[in-house]
Amino acid sequence: MADIDDHMDFEFEEPFKFSPAITKKKKKVIGLDDLLADYYEEKSKVVERESKRAKYKKQRCDSDDDLDVQDARQAKKFHEQVDEFQKDMGQISSDDDTLSWGLQVFGKQETLPPVLLEIDSCELLQSFQNHELNSLVELETEKGETFLEGLLTNGWLLKLAFILGQVENSVATWTFNLMLYSSKDVLSRSACDFWCGILLHKYEANHSSIKLKWVPSHSELKRALEVYGFQLDSPFKLSSDVDMVPTDSDSPGPPHNIRYWIKFVSVCFQVRSRWQILSSPEAEDLTYVIVTLFLDRVMLGLSVVLYECLVAATSYFKDDEWQASCHQIAKTLALRLPTDVNCLRIVESISGVDVRSKHLRSAVAFQFLVRCFDAKVLDAEEILRLLISINVKDKNCDLFKMYIYLNLAENWLLFDLLLKDKPVIREMWGLCLRNCSCQITSTDLRSFASKVRCKATYLLQGTSSK
Amino acid sequence: MERRKRVKTEGGNQNNKNNNNNNYRYTGAGGGVGMEENTLAILDTSSSASFHHLLDDRLAFLEAVRSASLVPENATPPTKKMLEAVFQILKDEDSLNLIMASYQLLSELNKRHPRVCLPKKEKSEASSPSKVLYELIVVEEAWSPFGFSENDEFTSTSSGGSISPSDFHSLIEDIAKRSSERRCKTIETKSLRNMLLFQYLVNVLEGDLVPRIHAFKETLNWILLRECILSKILGSRKVSYKDLVKDCLSIMGDLSHDEPQFTHDQGTNGTFSVVLQKDCHAALELALPEVKKSACIALKKLLQMIMELDSSRNTADKSGLITRADGARLPAAEIILNELAYDSDLLFSFFLLFDEPVWKLKAIIQYFQKYIPKSSVRTRRSNGSSNDATFDGILKCLSNENSAKGIIKKMRPDVLQLLLAHAFQAFLSLSSKHSVEGASDCMQEVEGSSLKEICENIVSAFARLRKEDKQCTILPFSREALFMAATILSNEVTGACS
Repeated sequence: MADIDDHMDFEFEEPFKFSPAITKKKKKVIGLDDLLADYYEEKSKVVERESKRAKYKKQRCDSDDDLDVQDARQAKKFHEQVDEFQKDMGQISSDDDTLSWGLQVFGKQETLPPVLLEIDSCELLQSFQNHELNSLVELETEKGETFLEGLLTNGWLLKLAFILGQVENSVATWTFNLMLYSSKDVLSRSACDFWCGILLHKYEANHSSIKLKWVPSHSELKRALEVYGFQLDSPFKLSSDVDMVPTDSDSPGPPHNIRYWIKFVSVCFQVRSRWQILSSPEAEDLTYVIVTLFLDRVMLGLSVVLYECLVAATSYFKDDEWQASCHQIAKTLALRLPTDVNCLRIVESISGVDVRSKHLRSAVAFQFLVRCFDAKVLDAEEILRLLISINVKDKNCDLFKMYIYLNLAENWLLFDLLLKDKPVIREMWGLCLRNCSCQITSTDLRSFASKVRCKATYLLQGTSSK
Repeated sequence: MERRKRVKTEGGNQNNKNNNNNNYRYTGAGGGVGMEENTLAILDTSSSASFHHLLDDRLAFLEAVRSASLVPENATPPTKKMLEAVFQILKDEDSLNLIMASYQLLSELNKRHPRVCLPKKEKSEASSPSKVLYELIVVEEAWSPFGFSENDEFTSTSSGGSISPSDFHSLIEDIAKRSSERRCKTIETKSLRNMLLFQYLVNVLEGDLVPRIHAFKETLNWILLRECILSKILGSRKVSYKDLVKDCLSIMGDLSHDEPQFTHDQGTNGTFSVVLQKDCHAALELALPEVKKSACIALKKLLQMIMELDSSRNTADKSGLITRADGARLPAAEIILNELAYDSDLLFSFFLLFDEPVWKLKAIIQYFQKYIPKSSVRTRRSNGSSNDATFDGILKCLSNENSAKGIIKKMRPDVLQLLLAHAFQAFLSLSSKHSVEGASDCMQEVEGSSLKEICENIVSAFARLRKEDKQCTILPFSREALFMAATILSNEVTGACS
């Protein structure tokens, strides 16, 4: 830091004179990005330097007792400048804050309900009590639950279910609850493996699948979410702050069981033809939940699991349902979540690798755009016309919003295979991009000006090269 | 059989791109090169920017690579430089966001643009001779996270951020060290990152080996396998192969232990960098068990691949394809079984994790064969394997008073019990799978014994154990096995009545 200060002092020798030293450091095929970035960097330095200088002068002026009128005027001018620069700086530094996504998807977690096995109604254990072999196994009723836990964690229980071809009620509910509510990781993990194994198991054609005396349903899954503290079932309230809330206070959700919740849901999506666990509206609802989970920074490390689950979710729907369901999911997301940087995170977390996820990504981006304009219109050209009509030269134009719009529109158009090649759309999109890249000058100091410009220029290259 | 190698059309493009690399100043905005320059420029500008800009730029870079090489249907793979940059991020970054994003990106790229693959089977082609189908496609120019030079000898120091065999081994050692350490200490990003890195590398090894094994089975072309990355790592003079396998085992033991829940330790916050505070260590807490589990699975995969390589080598040896140049190597299964013999805790957790039933049963039977008296009556089978090479044969030996006494004297009782129970478990998996996959996968070890017989023999084997050694306590795992056998038997009885 000291070095920079010295550097600044040296600069005082020549007040109000600087040259935007844009030098090409490296020869590049396309240097525009570098130029902009270099410029951007330069700009923030300049602002810093100027404001520092202004402060310095201000101090000097204040300390000077015999100010004449001219000096006073000058001082006033400096004050104004200081304010302006400080405003600029505030904007620049706030770029970072506004760009970091993150919602607290999980609020306060309820205490996990205790998981108990009804030993008396557990046939598996009861019938063994009088078995001749019990002299070797020495199984006592009181220790029945511990014994069954051993069977579960060591993988026996699943094999037994395959061989017997059924799972009795008490065992089914017990394992399901262990998966969702046990605080012991090994138990909930094994219970999850057990359930996924059962649901995914395929028998020969002449056999029916395993008989389950009890099958979990959507409401049990939702109930678990509630216990974990999930709070996005209604439109997001701004009162609970966008940024991370320090979580050192009482138990913040979710518990570790959320991993198994996600995995189980993922399997439910996959076994639609064998087990009707979810109806299609329920699947839409759970897909919505899965997407929102990407927004919580606490879930960052589970992104691989979430990603797989989202793939399973999109392939759940039948071809004739997909169109409507995709629309519904996108709409729910746009309605309930804020249209800030978080909606970009949402769009980017949908992979776009296969056809359906491309479709979903485009639909979600479109719905967010519609929501941004608060428009009743659902027509593509209408939206683009609105985008083009935004005057980026206007001082009051909110460039941060423009940045969001550009990103959303990019995703909407790029991932929609039909729209992408429509000549009208392409032309309008091109116009919109040119507006942003040409009308914002490289010396524009407004926050997000250079981000919008860079983005538009980058995208413009993409459209023109095709 | 002559060696078949064909360069994929995409590989050809790649080649062109690499050539272009040298004179890119001239080519201007030409396809791949322009992309490389543009995307790498995203990283380049950040040298003096703030921390947040660095983070943003790197994320933007990953997203740009993603949308260029994964999203379009006919996407081309990223260039070497781009892949190197992505790999560097996975190797060096501290931000959870970046680690996860780069890991995910690399794994997807690995799946989407494999370096080695078999040509895609067309339905109509399926009936044509297999020679066409098993022509292996190797994109020699494609980037690989493993670094080695032309003469098959890895470079001594890792150049360009790539992983040398000794780097790979030290990564495993590091995971082993940390997994045993961390139980009392705080959670660290580094161990999470290492485990993800390990998973990715194992996936790369798998992507390299599996198509080669397929091709080898069809063509018996040993060179295909000798050239695989895994065999180069194992054969490297820089790595002690035995230690590597042992380290794998020790991680397996450590990782599979159930850890106590992490507590929110306020004192540790000070050591966390700014990133981590942002990404919040609750995220790490949530992610670590998951990553550990997948690391265990990767470890299992690695060992299984080594064994697979061993058995292919065996086949090649029988056909006289192994030369002195291949060097000698102890089969991994032997090293593992030797290790397990002294540590019943490890034995237990190993077989619990190593649950692929065919391998598991094979390994256990191999172990037993060392202790079964050779004089026991052998009934020759058509394929020449002796009776004690089946699970049923072993159980019969144990039910027989004389041979059982011999085995019990030689083996530790706890090891004996655990092996029996684990073998029984593997048998159950096979017998329930059996009906699905048909006779093709039916292995000789299970052949000729029904579920009922095996259950009865398990019960009598344990009864014999008890009889021979009155002091011997039946371990929980064995109790569970017995419970299983008894329940299955009584079910068969009631099932028959109804």
